[in-house]
Amino acid sequence: MADTMGHSATATRNTKVALGFCLLAIAPQIFELIWSIGTIFGWGTGRGPTAVVISHATALLAGAPGALIGAASGDTKKVSSEVLLALIYSYPLFVVAILTFFMTIRSAQDYVGGVVLMAVALFALWAGSDLQGMRGFSFGAGTAPRMFGGLLVALSAGIALTGLLTDGPPMAHYSWRGPLFVMAGILFFALAIRPLGLVVTGFISFMIAAAGSQETRWLEAAIVGACLTLGCAILFPYVLGLPMPMFPRFLAQ
Amino acid sequence: MELFANLAHGFVVAFSPINLLMCLIGALVGTLVGVLPGIGTIATVAMLLPITFGLPPVGALIMLAGIYYGAQYGGSTTSILVNIPGEATSVVTAIDGHQMARQGRAGPALAIAAIGSFFAGCVATVLIAVLGAPLTKLALAFGPAEYFSLMVLGLIFAVVLAKGSVLKAIAMIVFGLLLSMVGSDIETGASRMAFNIPELADGLGFATVAMGVFGFAEIIRNLDAGAEMSRDLVQQKITGLMPTRKDLVDSTPAILRGTVLGSILGILPGGGATIASFGSYTLEKKLARNPSRFGRGAIEGVAGPESANNAAAQTSFIPLLTLGIPPNAVMALMVGAMTIHGIVPGPQVMQKQPDLVWGMIASMWIGNLMLIIINLPLVGIWVRLLRVPYRLMFPSIVIFCAIGIYSVNNAPVDVILAGVFGLVGYWLIKHDFEPAPLLLGMVLGPLMEENLRRALLISRGDWSVFVMRPLSAVLLAVAAGLLVLTVLPALRSKRDEVFTESEN
Repeated sequence: MADTMGHSATATRNTKVALGFCLLAIAPQIFELIWSIGTIFGWGTGRGPTAVVISHATALLAGAPGALIGAASGDTKKVSSEVLLALIYSYPLFVVAILTFFMTIRSAQDYVGGVVLMAVALFALWAGSDLQGMRGFSFGAGTAPRMFGGLLVALSAGIALTGLLTDGPPMAHYSWRGPLFVMAGILFFALAIRPLGLVVTGFISFMIAAAGSQETRWLEAAIVGACLTLGCAILFPYVLGLPMPMFPRFLAQ
Repeated sequence: MELFANLAHGFVVAFSPINLLMCLIGALVGTLVGVLPGIGTIATVAMLLPITFGLPPVGALIMLAGIYYGAQYGGSTTSILVNIPGEATSVVTAIDGHQMARQGRAGPALAIAAIGSFFAGCVATVLIAVLGAPLTKLALAFGPAEYFSLMVLGLIFAVVLAKGSVLKAIAMIVFGLLLSMVGSDIETGASRMAFNIPELADGLGFATVAMGVFGFAEIIRNLDAGAEMSRDLVQQKITGLMPTRKDLVDSTPAILRGTVLGSILGILPGGGATIASFGSYTLEKKLARNPSRFGRGAIEGVAGPESANNAAAQTSFIPLLTLGIPPNAVMALMVGAMTIHGIVPGPQVMQKQPDLVWGMIASMWIGNLMLIIINLPLVGIWVRLLRVPYRLMFPSIVIFCAIGIYSVNNAPVDVILAGVFGLVGYWLIKHDFEPAPLLLGMVLGPLMEENLRRALLISRGDWSVFVMRPLSAVLLAVAAGLLVLTVLPALRSKRDEVFTESEN
């Protein structure tokens, strides 16, 4: 009884892991889609969301298989970067995701770590695919990235294999509160430092970051935040002589 | 007698009032930040890097060196008093040091740590001065092939000495190498993996990645455990700083052994302070007549590792100053600082910038002296600092780091990138990847690629150049041998034993 229950537990988790890898396999495409939504409102330049969806979908479903068949029949036509992304990045990860269904994962920590690292390496290979390779005996711009990218694919595959073959720790527990608020504080700082200046930005970022812990007492945090902001406002521009906007732009004008 | 002339010159430079002040500020600030639990040496140096920007190069590097050993020293204070090692190098110090503190002997523990560190620092300073010049001459015999092989050896050392899986450590190095390639190619100027983002054209900033992976990631990780970490702060007042005669007799041999071990391990690329302190602790335990005392407040368990890590911290300047190769992540940050001040580390630095090199070496000795004089009376202040709750400390660190990164280039994008690398670092920690080799790979990446390219260009594409040149062949053979040894099961279990010391 206990055995079967244990088995079904791994089975459900495997499905989750495999689905996660599928998502990872099309993560760059999704990222570009989200990015492209901005163009509707006129932010940035680039293709609109519809164009992105169509080009990636055709690349994934038609372009890449076509290119594979073309390569098999010796046809070396230049392929678009979407097709390359599908070929170099998405397809290998889909293969890994499918394989994951049939595997017993003995150490999720290693297995997932290895596969994600492999995804990073494959992505780097794609990102460097437009660079020139070896020219005779001299290195091109793309030689070293390709060399190390390939090496990382192999190493991460090795790590993933270790996760399949040897027992090890399961996935560690991730919490959301700390990362979310600390990152939000950092992001706010980055976006606001130019227009709002150090004094306002420092204090607000402090309060946002402070929300990352349940034990924060707001009054206490506000007092410390104000003191720290004041200290930094004196330390960085005056004592250390680093140029930095101090007050909101609209007030300074 | 060139040596003494050089050292004398160094002391003249270091004793100028402005440099003395820089040294003092560096040592104090380094200790201050190093004392805060949860911020290691690397994060401290990365965080304080911007405050040296406005200074002249010599003053800036003296201050940075001060920050570095100040942080080392602060870390040991934290591990003795709170049992939270401020950094990896003082993990083993926490074992016996904290036990001593609980027996009411925090004073002698702190004092012996300081005395051991000072002694080791003195020896290491002399060693740097003695070895500097001959190694620089050796460096002139190095061609690109030798440099490449030496860096391979350094990276392999980093793997051997990292804890945990060898495969993962190598993967981290290669990941770091890949990250270093983002940006413009040095030779052709082609934009690599930059996705037409103008801010990436210059490559990922080293300080940015270091701050993300070591600063932000540590904060997020600490928050996981709950802001109110179980802080086992020694509450009673610290009385009687001076160690007894018996303490001194017990710890003298440990200090001597730790110094020798640390000096050797520090020179080796990839080594550095962490492995030195672990190694010394294991050595002391093996040599002790009654090993069961260890873990219950044996003073040798404080004296040995503390001397070893300080010796290693200082001798790790040797490869940096003579060969221009940073042997560990902190030295990698130093390279960043030197580059910002327009100094290219390498054999030519010793000749072209004698003020800088010898001034820095002399200032190390002065800095250590300052630490021992200033810090023992200041222990009370450090203790008060430790009582600041983490819930107030972590947002302060976040803001301070953010301002620091922003001020490096006045670029908001750098802050966002550091945040992203904070998340990457958090993920790495969760999957048991060591971030230190990543950083080392990232720093050595451009150097390695350049030398590899050059070597192959000179040999007309013949890869055998690396094994045909004798010096290069020896270096590669040592690297290969080390790697094989590490993977062998017998040594592997021993290596694990060294690193699990802190857990039992």
